[in-house]
Amino acid sequence: MADIIDVITSRKSIRRYKPDLVPDHMIDKILEAARWAPTGENYQPWRFIVIRDPETKNKIGDLSRIGSGSRMTAWYCQGHMQKRFEQIQDPERRAEVLRFMYSGQVSEFAKQAPLVIAVIGSLMEGSVDVPYDLSAAVENMLLEAHSLGLGACWVHGPVATTRDAKKFKEILGIPTGMGQYKVLAYVAVGWPAEERKHPRPKKPLEELVYWEKFGRTERP
Amino acid sequence: MDAIQYYNQLLYRMEELFYHELSDCAPWKTEYVGIDFIQSKDIKGSTEDEVISACIREIVCADLAKDISYSIGGKGILLKLRIAACRHLPKETMLRASGIKPYNCPIANMILDQLVEKLGYTTTYMADLSVDEGSKECIAMAAVYATPDKIGVVSDWSKE
Repeated sequence: MADIIDVITSRKSIRRYKPDLVPDHMIDKILEAARWAPTGENYQPWRFIVIRDPETKNKIGDLSRIGSGSRMTAWYCQGHMQKRFEQIQDPERRAEVLRFMYSGQVSEFAKQAPLVIAVIGSLMEGSVDVPYDLSAAVENMLLEAHSLGLGACWVHGPVATTRDAKKFKEILGIPTGMGQYKVLAYVAVGWPAEERKHPRPKKPLEELVYWEKFGRTERP
Repeated sequence: MDAIQYYNQLLYRMEELFYHELSDCAPWKTEYVGIDFIQSKDIKGSTEDEVISACIREIVCADLAKDISYSIGGKGILLKLRIAACRHLPKETMLRASGIKPYNCPIANMILDQLVEKLGYTTTYMADLSVDEGSKECIAMAAVYATPDKIGVVSDWSKE
């Protein structure tokens, strides 16, 4: 069996896309990958809404901008954002990045993505651990998109707050009852218009792994 | 045990569990906690000051807090609420004792809800909640965005 580690380690969140459409057979493969994600009790709570209509994508992009921007504006005003990006040495570049973040533009890219897939889960009686199942489905989608040469990004911004999640449901006609469907995120997909830089620095395994007991870092 | 203590214990456990599930995303999800009370009142007002003042009157009249004062700064984005002797203070104390920074203020939620519901504000964001058990006072800092173009209007809140 082929080792998937190269696909995993070379994947990167892509937020800028060429205008070219994503062919149907690729959309089907991404959805098929999602369908095979692990799921508690084989419940398969996931439902996927495939969105290509520009007007709907614009609404989602606006909601995303307001969701992320409202939080990041406050974080900037509290000084948190400046700390987060203090490693950027050039002050002009840092200011530009910060403006991109607190304006909410960072999350607006659904508008330009040729394809947006909303990932929602049924909360009806019998469902278990829905957010975890949906997260596994999203990861499968990202990996499949990447393996097809596409770029994708997992976006939680527009559904982060309870009120925004309701607005998101209304845009897509999803029942809004809190006990009906959970909106986890959407996945934006398209042909990458940005260079796939080397993945961002990751913590070494030694920092993350314990052996046999919490805190034991030495491999026995 | 009195009813207030009992209900605060319930809330504390719910918020503790919620934080355990969602970490620092928990406050983003709890914005509806408390709104049923304020929505049952007929809050009227056509300006920010009128709506906030009407909410405060109802909250204090119902003895949910002894006194609430507020200021608006940060280029109109920052709503700072000073809440004295709130009924929910015991839950914040219990939460902090369990190692979790208090994050859900039903009183602030009520006021933010009415800014959205009555004045059509685009959105709000509960940015910080600091609790002083000694003086029995909480300070809630929220970002309020009347219109979409207010997103990205920044200033230094430490000077407010």
